[in-house]
Parts: sequence; structure tokens; C-alpha cells
Amino acid sequence: MARDGTVARAETDDGDQAVITVEGVEKRYGNTVALAGVSLSVEHGEVYGLIGPNGAGKTTLVRAVTGTTTPDAGVVRILETAPTAVDRNRVAVLPQNFAPPARLTAAELLEYYAGLYDDPRDSRGVLADVGLTDAADTWYEHLSGGQQRRVCVGAALVNDPEVLVVDEPTTGIDPAGRRTVWGLLEALAAGGTTILLTTHDMAEAERLADRVGLLAGGELVASGPPARLVAEHGGSNRLVVSLDGDDTEPTAVDTLETAGYAVSTGRGSVTVADVAPTDIGDVVAHLESVAVDYAGLEWTQPGLEDVYLALASDVERDHRRLATQQSRSLEELADGGRPEDRGDGGGGGGDEVVTGSNSTDRHDGGDRPQ
Amino acid sequence: MTRFDRLQAEIGADWRSFVRRRTAVFFTFFFPVILIVIFGALVRTDPTGEGLFAEPAAYYVPGYLAVVVLFTPFSRLGSEVARHREDNRFEKLATTPLSRVEWLFAQTVVNAVIIGLASLLILVLVVVLTGAEITYSPWLVPYILIGVGCFCGIGAMLGSYTDSRDGAVAASNAIGLPLLFLSETFIALEQLPGWFGPLVNLSPLTYFARGVRAATNPGAESGVSGIAGVDPLVSNLAVLAVLAVVTFALGARSIPRTD
Repeated sequence: MARDGTVARAETDDGDQAVITVEGVEKRYGNTVALAGVSLSVEHGEVYGLIGPNGAGKTTLVRAVTGTTTPDAGVVRILETAPTAVDRNRVAVLPQNFAPPARLTAAELLEYYAGLYDDPRDSRGVLADVGLTDAADTWYEHLSGGQQRRVCVGAALVNDPEVLVVDEPTTGIDPAGRRTVWGLLEALAAGGTTILLTTHDMAEAERLADRVGLLAGGELVASGPPARLVAEHGGSNRLVVSLDGDDTEPTAVDTLETAGYAVSTGRGSVTVADVAPTDIGDVVAHLESVAVDYAGLEWTQPGLEDVYLALASDVERDHRRLATQQSRSLEELADGGRPEDRGDGGGGGGDEVVTGSNSTDRHDGGDRPQ
Repeated sequence: MTRFDRLQAEIGADWRSFVRRRTAVFFTFFFPVILIVIFGALVRTDPTGEGLFAEPAAYYVPGYLAVVVLFTPFSRLGSEVARHREDNRFEKLATTPLSRVEWLFAQTVVNAVIIGLASLLILVLVVVLTGAEITYSPWLVPYILIGVGCFCGIGAMLGSYTDSRDGAVAASNAIGLPLLFLSETFIALEQLPGWFGPLVNLSPLTYFARGVRAATNPGAESGVSGIAGVDPLVSNLAVLAVLAVVTFALGARSIPRTD
């Protein structure tokens, strides 16, 4: 469920046939909640990006979609069938932290994975696509980290899949290699491949994903096109004015607030909220009118990272609060249901310890996949 | 691509991976060699004496072969399953058409080739270093192949049910050593306490050892018993085959495809 109580899937249903459908999926590892009723759908040819903090449940959701974990509750469908029953020639997966046999060359590895499918692409062509023709005869263990990841991406492309699930595909790849992989994924999407990807790279999500889902604490807290999420949750444009001297800060703040701007202060700077590019000159003029010198101006638009930080931290805070309440309830039960005794009995000193412990248990994942 | 093509791809990758790990190749062949040198050439058999190694040299051929037929699948499959799990390779393979049975079969084929070569080396060394008089029986081939299948299944289970590569290797040693010495390989049943007999019969290696002994040393006076009066060559192979089917199936089933 989304934070506003609506099922995330509903907002994207436009009558198209969903290629991936996740409905109310729950998964626990011991006491750790990995997924708490996640619902979403991915349409044909769509790129859906999953973002969220470590331990948010992204990899568990990917595994539920690919059939490599079994949800405790809920339904997952891929290509209109259960993940474990789907034709494996039509789907490809790049797992997180995947490492193929180390003493095969890049070419041998792609040839090997291609050999497992009924109608694979030419592995040399895939090697060229991921930009590794020159490293074709190098053992995997002798490739750089970025080249290794590109081999892994190539291994997910050898069967020309209809559905591609990639878990952090560009982790460890240098900027040039990352753009190569992005280009590959964009070309696949343009050709009709449905892609579910997880990433910590907000630029990657913004560039590649038609829609983005933010997972936090095992819940899908927001889902939609990146631009819409930014508009709804990212906050406003900001102009950060680095002041040339601390003593001018009060003057700057007074002047700008009088002019109707919302202003906050930082270390030697003032931040003016909701400033359109055309208003920058106006702000500067106000500062100059009261002889406030500035060392620099930085105007920023909100991005997906702002959405991430705003929503993920909200959820983490909510869950910490919930965990605190739960631990207090447990303590009260342990004390014979006399909460008033705790206040007098020195139990308050233990609150922080118990709270921290429970919060960690719920979100940090313990032995669950990250 | 057919099932054969998938197997070919998997076998090719497994074979290349193995032969490129030079230390693994070296010690796979060095281990039985050093055992033959120590027991066969240095300790030497003493047919007229008491205690261990009192049987004719040919009696111990199944034991030397068992070193590779048992330990190589245990250690290779155990560590390979653990390595695949730690590197998320099973997560990848689970989403390809390759089945668990096919994966294990490919591993078994690679092991069979390695162990076949090692067995040839062992037979030559046993004859040369210990003077054993053995019969070169074609029955050796099915015994070695089925034995490899059986112990690959158990090796897969060791890798699946232990939580790390180190754990798999430790478990394979802990299980392999007792099996090696208490399955009528190096120690005759008559030298063990009477109550130990039923336990010996539980070991798949016992049927391997009895059958191989019957094949390579037809005149052996002990360690070649058959089952229910059936020819030892046939009956022991039949039992070993049944056990191989069971352990292979359980081994394939144990391979992790989900978390």
C-alpha cells in the first residue's frame, strides 16, 4: 500500500496487460520483515525502477518476482504465470553480487550462458554490445570491477529476454561503462523489453525508469513517474547564497524575508526556497541593495534524491517510533502489565537501548538479503 | 538448443574451470599417489603378518580407487555448491532453462572424467609400486561411473546443507575418512568388531569396494561377498546403482534454487 492508503498498482492500471504483477506480497526472515504487503505492476515495455535504502526489501522483491524466494503471502505473476512456472527463455536476471566462474574468459562466459537457452543471441554480439570485445579473451578474475559487471550484464542479455530483472546493474562500473549499460537498457526498452531494475543511483533511476517505486521498511511508500514524484515530494527549487562574511547573515535574512522569500540559514549561507530561475536576479538585487556581499550562488532543482531522502527518512522514523512503542509494550507485559512501575523503577534508562535494538532488528536486515 | 546443448555448455564451463585451477588439478592426482606411496610402497603389505595391511596387495586396490571415487566428488561438489551459492550463481541458473538435475549431471560427468584418469594412474602405480596382481576387468568402468554418481549426490548434499565452503570441506573430510576406512576398503570386515558389520553394510562404498575387488581380484578370499547368493559383481553393482539413484536425486533436490 502506498502511504496514502491506495494500492500502488491501481494508479498505473490503464488497461494494458501487466507483464509483472505483485499483489500484497509479504516476506519475513525470522522476526525481520523484508516485505510488508507490497503491490505493484509493470506494463509491457516499461522500465520500473526500485529505489530505497539498504535492507528496504528491493532484493527480496526481485527474488519474489524471479521465483528465487517464496513469499509468505501475496501473489506474484510474471508473463501471466507464476514465477517458478514461467518459460525461462523469456526472462533474464542479473542478481545482486553475482559472480560467474572466475577462470573463464569474458567470451567463454557469455558463450556458456548463451548455451543454456533455446534460442540465444550470438554471444560475440553481446560482448560487443557491452563494450568488451577487446577483453574477450581475458579471464573474468583478471577483468576490472567495471568490466566484470559488464560481463554480468551481458550474461543477462544473451537470451534476448522479454522481461529483464536487474539488481543494481551498474554498481562498481565507471561513468563511461555506466552509460554503455544505460544505453543498452534503453535500447532494450525501446525494443519492447520490460525491465525491472533496482538501483541506488538516483540519476540512473531518473534517466531509465518510466516509473519509480520507493521501498522503505518493506513497504512501497511511493510509486509513479520520476517527474511526478519529484513534483509531489521533492520540495521546491532552492537558491543557496554563500555569504562573504558571517556578520551579514541577519541583514540578508531580514531583507529577503521582507521581500517575501522563505529563507533558512546554514553555515555562512542563506537558502532561499521556491526561487524560479527568473527570480535569481531579484534576490541578488535585494542583497546588493543592503550591501550584502556574497561569494557564490547555487540554484538547485529538487530531484529524485530529495524524494528518496524525504520519504525514506519519514518511514524510518515512523518505524523507529513503532518499534519503540512495541518494545515498551513488551516491557510492560514482562513487568506484569504495570506500566506505572517502570517509570519509578529506573526502566527509563533502558529505553534507548531497547529502542535501538528493535529498530535495527526490523530494518537492518540481519541475515536477510540486502 | 536442446538439453544436450545445455549439458554441453555446462560441462564445458565446468571442465575449463577445473583444469584452470592448477593446484586443484595437482592435488586431485597427488592425493591418491601419495597414499599409494605411503601405504603400498613404504608401509608395504605383509600377507603373513598381523594387523593392518596383512592382505595381499591386490586386496587394497578398491581402497586406493575409493580415495578418488569418494573424496573427489565429496570435496569438489561440496565446495562447488557452496561457491555457487555464495556467488549467487544458483540464483542466476534458477532463471535459466538448466535444471538442477542437469547441473548435477554435468558436474558428475566432469568428475567422472577426472576420476577416470586418476583411476588409471592409480592402477598403474599400484601394479608398479606394490606388485599387485590384478585383473583388468571391464566391470571397473560401471563401478567407477556409478560410484562417482553416488558420491556426487552426497557431495551436493554436503555443499547444500553446510553454510560455507569451509564447512563443506570439513564435512566432506569428517564423513569421507570414516567411510574410506570402514567400508571393507583397507580394513577387512574380520578385523572389525562383530557389531560393526551392519554399519559397514550401510555404506555405499562397501558395495563399491566388494564389487571392484571381485572384478580386479577374482580369487580374493575375503571382501568379495555378494548379496542373496547373486554374483558379487552383479549384486554389488545393483545395490550401488540403487544407492546412486537415491543419492543423486536427493543431491539434485538439495541444490538451492531459492533462498
